[in-house]
Amino acid sequence: MKKIYFTIILFLTVKLLHAQGISKTISVNFQQATVEQFATELEVKSDYHFYYDRTQFDSLKITLQANDQPLNNILSLAFHNTVYHYAIVASKMQVFLTREKEILTQPAAGYFNIKPGQAQPVVSSPVIDFTTTPVKKPVIESTLENKLYEIGIKTNDIKAGKATISGYVKSGKSGGAIAGASIYVSNSSLGVTTDQFGYYTLALPRGKQLLIVKGIGMKDARRQIMLYTDGELNIELQDQVTSLKEVKISADKVANVRSTEMAVSRLDIKSIKQVPAVFGEADVLRIVLTLPGVQTVGEATTGFNVRGGAADQNLILLDDKTIYNPAHFFGFFAAFNPDIVKGIELYKSTIPEKFGGRLSSVLEVTNREGNKKVFTGSAGIGLLTSRLNVEGPIVKDKTSFIFGGRTSYSDWLLKLLPQAYKHSHASFYDLNLDLSHQVNKDNNIYVSTYISSDNFRLNSDTTYSYSNRNANIKWKHNFNSKLYSLLTVGYDGYKYDIASSANPVNAYKLKFGINQTNLKADFTYYLNRNNTLDFGLSSIYYKLNPGSETPNNASSLIVPDKVADEQALESAIYLGDKYDITPDFTISAGIRYSLFNYLGAQTIRNYAPGLPRTPLNVVDSTNYGGGKVIKTYSRPEIRISARYNIDDNLSLKASYNTLAQYIHQLSNTTAISPIDIYKLSDPNIKPQYGSQVSFGVFKNAKQNTIETSVEVYYKHIDNYLDYKSGAKLIMSHAVEQEVLNTQGKAYGVELSVRKTTGKLNGWINYTYSRTFLKQDDAIAGQLINGGAYYPANYDKPHSFNFTGNYRITHRYSVSLDVTYSTGRPITLPIAKYYSNGAERVFYSGRNEYRIPDYFRSDFSINIDGNHKVHQTFHNSWTVGVYNLTGRQNAYSTFFQQQGGVINSYQLSIFARPIPFINYNIRF
Amino acid sequence: MSAMKKILYILFVLAGATACKKQLNIAPSAKVTSYLVVDGNISSGDSTTITLRRTVNLDSNSRANPELGATVAVESAGGASYKLNSKGGGVYVSAPLNLSSGEKYSLKITTSNGGKYASDFVQVKNSPPIDSVRTAIKNDGLQISVDTHDASNNSKYYRWEYTETYQIQSAFESQIIVVKNDSPPPPDIQTPRTPEKKVYNCWVSDTSNSIITGSSAKLAADKISDAPMALITANSEKLRLRYSILVKQYVITAEAFNYFELLKKNTEQIGGIFDPQPSELTGNLHCLSNPNEPVIGFVTVGQVAQKRIFVDKANLPGNWVPETPYGSCQLNTLLYARKVTSTIPTIPPIYVNEVNDLIYGGFQLAVDYAPGGYLASTPLCVDCTLRGTNKKPSFWK
Repeated sequence: MKKIYFTIILFLTVKLLHAQGISKTISVNFQQATVEQFATELEVKSDYHFYYDRTQFDSLKITLQANDQPLNNILSLAFHNTVYHYAIVASKMQVFLTREKEILTQPAAGYFNIKPGQAQPVVSSPVIDFTTTPVKKPVIESTLENKLYEIGIKTNDIKAGKATISGYVKSGKSGGAIAGASIYVSNSSLGVTTDQFGYYTLALPRGKQLLIVKGIGMKDARRQIMLYTDGELNIELQDQVTSLKEVKISADKVANVRSTEMAVSRLDIKSIKQVPAVFGEADVLRIVLTLPGVQTVGEATTGFNVRGGAADQNLILLDDKTIYNPAHFFGFFAAFNPDIVKGIELYKSTIPEKFGGRLSSVLEVTNREGNKKVFTGSAGIGLLTSRLNVEGPIVKDKTSFIFGGRTSYSDWLLKLLPQAYKHSHASFYDLNLDLSHQVNKDNNIYVSTYISSDNFRLNSDTTYSYSNRNANIKWKHNFNSKLYSLLTVGYDGYKYDIASSANPVNAYKLKFGINQTNLKADFTYYLNRNNTLDFGLSSIYYKLNPGSETPNNASSLIVPDKVADEQALESAIYLGDKYDITPDFTISAGIRYSLFNYLGAQTIRNYAPGLPRTPLNVVDSTNYGGGKVIKTYSRPEIRISARYNIDDNLSLKASYNTLAQYIHQLSNTTAISPIDIYKLSDPNIKPQYGSQVSFGVFKNAKQNTIETSVEVYYKHIDNYLDYKSGAKLIMSHAVEQEVLNTQGKAYGVELSVRKTTGKLNGWINYTYSRTFLKQDDAIAGQLINGGAYYPANYDKPHSFNFTGNYRITHRYSVSLDVTYSTGRPITLPIAKYYSNGAERVFYSGRNEYRIPDYFRSDFSINIDGNHKVHQTFHNSWTVGVYNLTGRQNAYSTFFQQQGGVINSYQLSIFARPIPFINYNIRF
Repeated sequence: MSAMKKILYILFVLAGATACKKQLNIAPSAKVTSYLVVDGNISSGDSTTITLRRTVNLDSNSRANPELGATVAVESAGGASYKLNSKGGGVYVSAPLNLSSGEKYSLKITTSNGGKYASDFVQVKNSPPIDSVRTAIKNDGLQISVDTHDASNNSKYYRWEYTETYQIQSAFESQIIVVKNDSPPPPDIQTPRTPEKKVYNCWVSDTSNSIITGSSAKLAADKISDAPMALITANSEKLRLRYSILVKQYVITAEAFNYFELLKKNTEQIGGIFDPQPSELTGNLHCLSNPNEPVIGFVTVGQVAQKRIFVDKANLPGNWVPETPYGSCQLNTLLYARKVTSTIPTIPPIYVNEVNDLIYGGFQLAVDYAPGGYLASTPLCVDCTLRGTNKKPSFWK
């Protein structure tokens, strides 16, 4: 069709003059006229001949009354504000009616060489080349497997070369985006994975192609396409009704071998829910501990250590919101609602250049988008907590919301405690409310809010309360199929209060808070089929309230004290390119330049150079005014990774990363606690720097159903903060006097085998890793272990994990989880003595001993209700036992004097088999 | 941080009481050490007592390993020296010293094997008087606490020790002492108990075994209110008859305060999830002859304030029933001795003492068979001197 128009245009451009007939006036009166009636009448009245494609006009009904109007006015009135256009060729007495595309009756500018003195022909609008540009072509919504979808501008013969398709992969049921779905061309190595919004862009040869689309928890789908030119294709996938079918660690079955990313673990909520959890409720943080290279100091904390990094070196993001305290109940429960979490991703080696600010890892927790088609929800009831989730469309297929809430009601249980604890109170809740709005096909807006709160009162005495508060707005804009941007504005906050009024004279209230305001712009540009560019900038404004202590009642003698607020600006710009040098060799190279400004108002102590930072060595102090830049740190951070495919199933990958961290969590307890404080880098506290080099071999076997990998890494950390003996961190006005700079090194090898499909699926990991710290700070004064390397608290050389799921029938499946690791290092005394009325112990070198090895196995049976798709309520049960063998794993061994005598104890946290049951309902 | 421990206890209960604290056998130390341990306060206006001990192996049964034969002296920065005399058991005592409050003092030690040790020069910190030692009746027992203040605002850091003394009473009162008759046949020789030999009423003394510190550094006034000393559980035997507590109050420097806090954390508050990790402890003593040898202890200097109170059973709730170790005590009727006759006529009969390690409890018993017997019970039930002293303390009113 296009070709025909084009020929006509060429033919007509020979002579272009307005004929007499156009000025002839006509009177018409159409009532719901079809195009035939319209054209026939005008042909009669105007003597022009009309050309049009009847099928294109079959939905057109014209109602128009006009008296004594020229033909062009009548046509203008008839087609005003419609997709229809007309073109009058007066010289030939012809009128062409078209849909969507307008025929220009004049040649394009510059078509003829313009002679001097000759007026340039006036062209009403730029000429659009319909052969190459997919302008405003509607996005194809593809739902059928056997239909051939035509993409781009149809031509009779297909040009050689590649064209780009892009679009969203969505759930056919809820309309929610499916992140991490893989789209690849059958019988070829071409493939991509959708981003967090379910968006993909794929360059592939023009012509007929068969796309294979796979998403977690979705039925595998095929789409047949005929690719003419660049175009858009949205793909709707159907839910896998038998949701117990698969435990998949990765959305992309080929990603293990094909992606350049190393050491990225993706887990969807269905996999998470199948792993037995201690209280039966899926815990999105605890699952992280089953992944290779992740360690923890013990079971009662959600703090985790990635490849030898400290627990505060993990950036935990919930839909791009920084969560400072991801746990409830002092670390026993993750603060993420499993009913609305879609999945998690842990980056531990190749950290994309868009992320920064933490040394070890990025843990991205992603919530589902609300259902855009129907109202649904779910609820779960347990002994300690219950949860509710509601979601649905606000405007069908355009705007949706999702709400999730959890609350605890454990006070009734506390009433059963012994007298001494009877008046305690413990509660928590968390709420999520996310909105997703599609403005048009190129603009999406996402609003995401989160609040979590914990309250704990010990025996009507000391109360602890802590809370996360986060909100952000994201605007995703597609400039065209090759460039899109994501603009994020957000606020993240964390605060805690401790109050006591038991002793009226000492009654106090202690407050701590972090506030950060973020602005981020991320761009992705598909430069060509070999290069994908990511670039952007971000800025975080920190305002910390490092502590304030005030009297809690009128008779308190507590002197109000406040550690001066800290302000800083952490900014970064980044640029990265994923460059496919050959189909088998890809390099991702990126640079992130981070800039940290410590801002006034602040008073900075100046120390005598080269002397320990003690109160005695303070020379003087400098006062800086509000907003003044006190100290600037900057660092280019390098993020490089490369992949080479030896064959379709075997690839080699290598990566090198450097990172910087400007905010430090100060904790001198074994496990991180919600009442730890944070400190920004300042002239006396240097930023932490880290670098990591890693190398891996990845092999897939049996049609990509078995993924294996071997990865080795070496990591170095500078300026990690450790604490002087007896350091007082809370309410310290001079934190630099309490801390020591520590160097760290970590290395290890991780072996992993995963089976992603079939009745039996799961993963087995073995990791050998070591982590050492060293204090050789020249100005530290007293050194731990005399300045020699000592093992970190989470140095556990051998670690083994098995997580497996076996599907007996579509309704029943069993899961088994087995964990083994070397016991963590501890400091034990070397002697005892009698002093101050009791036996006491004497400690020497740090972390010279280990607690006994850790072993635990968990078992669960998942029972699904019936699998009828169309029923009001779907219910499911999970029954299981945590710590099946009841092994009393040591959390710690320690010496304590009681009644004047030294005894040695072992503390175990989950020291016997813990049965659990969990009931869930979906509506 | 002990609040954290209680929180964890609650969490464990919520988690179905799954947590478990198990006592282990103590393994021997990997490294054998014998470091000097110095305890004591250089007292102003009173005699100074310094105790020297050595560290022992972790699995050792000996609690204290006294350092004998050392030369100990208190020296002032101005050069004055006061010698301490050995009282045995590693205890060294001086005559009452009148120290100048503007001067600094140091402890010098030379051990018998030639090791030379010295403390830093420490400022004299005299304690203000204790305003009151308070008692409060709580649900779970009797809380003893202290109030004090320093109008001159110079004290700020405090440390307390206490000595509890309480009266105990045996299950049965013994009126007689029975001495075995070396020349049988029975009866044994029996004599009535003189007041000095009475073993019915005794007094037991315990010293505090935990470190108690307090600070008013954060307060607008140098005032300590209701600082907890001891909690005596409602069913404690200490409260059965009469109880007394002597509280000693020391004022210490900020450095000493930090040392004692850390010592407490290292030895009393450890092992919990949110408890601090043990750390090296550096006091204010140094080994001069071998600078790498650790010395344990923190010498403080100053006048001690003390105050004693008494608590009578009559002032305590009537439903507080003390638990004594006498619950299973019984009086048995025992023969003086049992005559055992040999089948060989040439061997004379022997008398087997039936009450071997049992103590003769009360009265001679008229039993209807020869040679008679006593009402008796086990020594713990009768002899309170096994647990305390039967000499009434001089302060006991």
